[in-house]
Amino acid sequence: MTTNVKLGFFSFAHMHAVSYARSAQNMPGVEIAGIYDANPAKGEEWAEKLQTRFFASADELLAENLDGAIICAENVHHRPLVEACAGRVGAILCEKPIATTIADAQAMIDICAKTNTKLQIAFPVRYSPPIRHLKDQLDAGSLGEIYSAKCTNHGSMPGGWFIDQKLAGGGAVIDHTVHVIDVLRWFWGAEVTEVYAEIGDSLLHPDLGIDDAGLLSFQLSNGVYGTLDTSWSRPKSYPTWGDVKIEVLGANGLIRTDAFAQHIAVSSDAAGKTQWPGWGSNADAGLVADFVGMIREDREPSITGYDGLKALEVALAAYESARTGKPVQI
Amino acid sequence: MKRIGIVGAGSIARTHADRIKKMPGIELAGYYDIFPEAAQRAVEQYGGKVYPSLDALLDDVNYVDICTTANAHKEPVLAALEAGVPACVEKPLARHLADCYEIVEAQARTGTPLFVAQVVRYFPQFAAAKAALDRGDIGAPGVIRTVRGGSAPGGGGWGSASSARSYYNDFDKSGGVILDVSIHDIDYQRWCFGEVERVFARGLRFAGKNPKDHALISLRFENGAIGHIEGSWAYPPGLWRTRIEMAGTAGLIEWDSLDQQPVEWRIQPDADSQPSSGTASPLIDADDPYYRELAHFMDSVENDKPQGVTAYDGLMAVKISLAAIESERRGEAVRVRDYEEKL
Ligand SMILES: NC(=O)c1ccc[n+]([C@@H]2O[C@H](COP(=O)([O-])OP(=O)(O)OC[C@H]3O[C@@H](n4cnc5c(N)ncnc54)[C@H](O)[C@@H]3O)[C@@H](O)[C@H]2O)c1
Repeated sequence: MTTNVKLGFFSFAHMHAVSYARSAQNMPGVEIAGIYDANPAKGEEWAEKLQTRFFASADELLAENLDGAIICAENVHHRPLVEACAGRVGAILCEKPIATTIADAQAMIDICAKTNTKLQIAFPVRYSPPIRHLKDQLDAGSLGEIYSAKCTNHGSMPGGWFIDQKLAGGGAVIDHTVHVIDVLRWFWGAEVTEVYAEIGDSLLHPDLGIDDAGLLSFQLSNGVYGTLDTSWSRPKSYPTWGDVKIEVLGANGLIRTDAFAQHIAVSSDAAGKTQWPGWGSNADAGLVADFVGMIREDREPSITGYDGLKALEVALAAYESARTGKPVQI
Repeated sequence: MKRIGIVGAGSIARTHADRIKKMPGIELAGYYDIFPEAAQRAVEQYGGKVYPSLDALLDDVNYVDICTTANAHKEPVLAALEAGVPACVEKPLARHLADCYEIVEAQARTGTPLFVAQVVRYFPQFAAAKAALDRGDIGAPGVIRTVRGGSAPGGGGWGSASSARSYYNDFDKSGGVILDVSIHDIDYQRWCFGEVERVFARGLRFAGKNPKDHALISLRFENGAIGHIEGSWAYPPGLWRTRIEMAGTAGLIEWDSLDQQPVEWRIQPDADSQPSSGTASPLIDADDPYYRELAHFMDSVENDKPQGVTAYDGLMAVKISLAAIESERRGEAVRVRDYEEKL
């Protein structure tokens, strides 16, 4: 018998919450005790859709004896919610990026350490089977000496709070740097030591008022160099939301991975375009299963607050590089 | 019947001669090469005669096609310009920036037509992407990404001229993957998105991996748009790839040479033999990019129209390429306008 795990959701501002919630509900012995959202209309709507309860305050939801909290608030609200949950739940899964400043990220790590709360950051790309396959090949050393990693995490312009500097802490660069940087750190146990970035404000969406294009050029501590395109460059007419592609070049050859290549093509007159529904394994479900497993087995998080902080640091360094026009050492 | 002569009888000269032979109204007069044996072999295959000197060739033709290595472009180009013989010169315009300035000056002074064979502008898919951009299909320029890569020269596919291997592997002569390969993308991106403000690059040039070379280049255009280029001489043997992606304010263009090809086969002739496979993307002769660039060059001379790739375009492509190499060496962004090559 698996022990029952009771989860609470703290904000549905980031729509990954829906995917995490559905993943949780598909797991035996996992119960969603309720949803708190600062926007009651949104909270109630999702509570009804997911057949759970809406709580008007985080405090009331925390009174439900939760085993774990899943935080999908706007980026700046990660810290206050982690501070509210720390010590009152055993484990927290916090959406990426961990925060919008290093100080906030460090405060979150510190309070969780002090209250003995496990803090995991939501980097679902680590659970994508094509990406894991790449990691397995890298671990086996099939490429020999590694030269470079050419990466893209393109997206569509998400709108809403994602384009509000005060809530998101930045646009495309903070949104899409952290996933890929996290998996590169995970592949090699290496850190980014230098970043140069070209960043475009309102480049693809006139008058957007925030960065919507970013191109990072980085150096890792293990000698590997690479680039990462974080641009929201997929138009509304594109068949899908974006991509995660990583091409690793080494002495023995090249491995190309496209985390979302497992899709069919559906051309629909109703949609007015062709769309690419995915049929690959759901990485969000892998992330949630790992989080629940951590609670059940009382193990350490596989993706820590420190991992979240190190990925954020690269995004912030990219902004600094774009401001100064110089590579930034980390 | 107009006559064209080829200077430098190596591997790209073979590609050009093959196209010239298919063109109506033009005769391949022959070759001049510092190695007469190379010219002799070319003549045996494509006809014409072996010229004893560059001047002898220039005296005898209406057009000259300069297919020498990059480090040997300047002398024949200047000679052709001074002699008033319209010239096509292979990319890069020259190995060094000072040579490019000299060529641009001589071209302006003599008025002799000069076409720089930045052939990617004449690849139908690249031309189609540019046309879509110019039609406004994707709105204003945003982010352009292109890829051009294969294995190290000599690793296959670079022709049999014995000189070629040592040429490409000699950075002082070829300029490595950026000046030889990525210059195509630099010219193409500049053609599409306009002048480049600055460039930043990382790669293998200074990592001691010769003959392998590889570069990931970031460009910032004067209009604020962003460019990315991958150039490779480090892919495993047998892999060659080009790719276009252009994002604008209202759409996106993509094309990849690794996509499904118009003809693909895998055939096992009988139960005991190894299956063989291959692909083809055939075009009619006149749509072939090398045919198109050479036909355009001669047509522009004939009809007194501006050349599609000017000496200045050739110079800018070299300048940005050398600035990218300098960035890779120094680990900093290099402003194109301020960049001057230090020799
Ligand atoms: N556009 C393309 O796709 C493409 C492809 C390959 C090469 N190229 C370009 O073509 C040029 C030649 O490359 P290649 O692979 O044919 O080289 P190659 O070494 O095969 O041929 C060059 C030939 O020029 C001759 N030569 C050298 N110096 C000379 C001089 N001063 N006078 C007369 N002949 C001279 C050499 O003897 C040799 O036969 C280079 O600039 C290269 O960048 C372009």
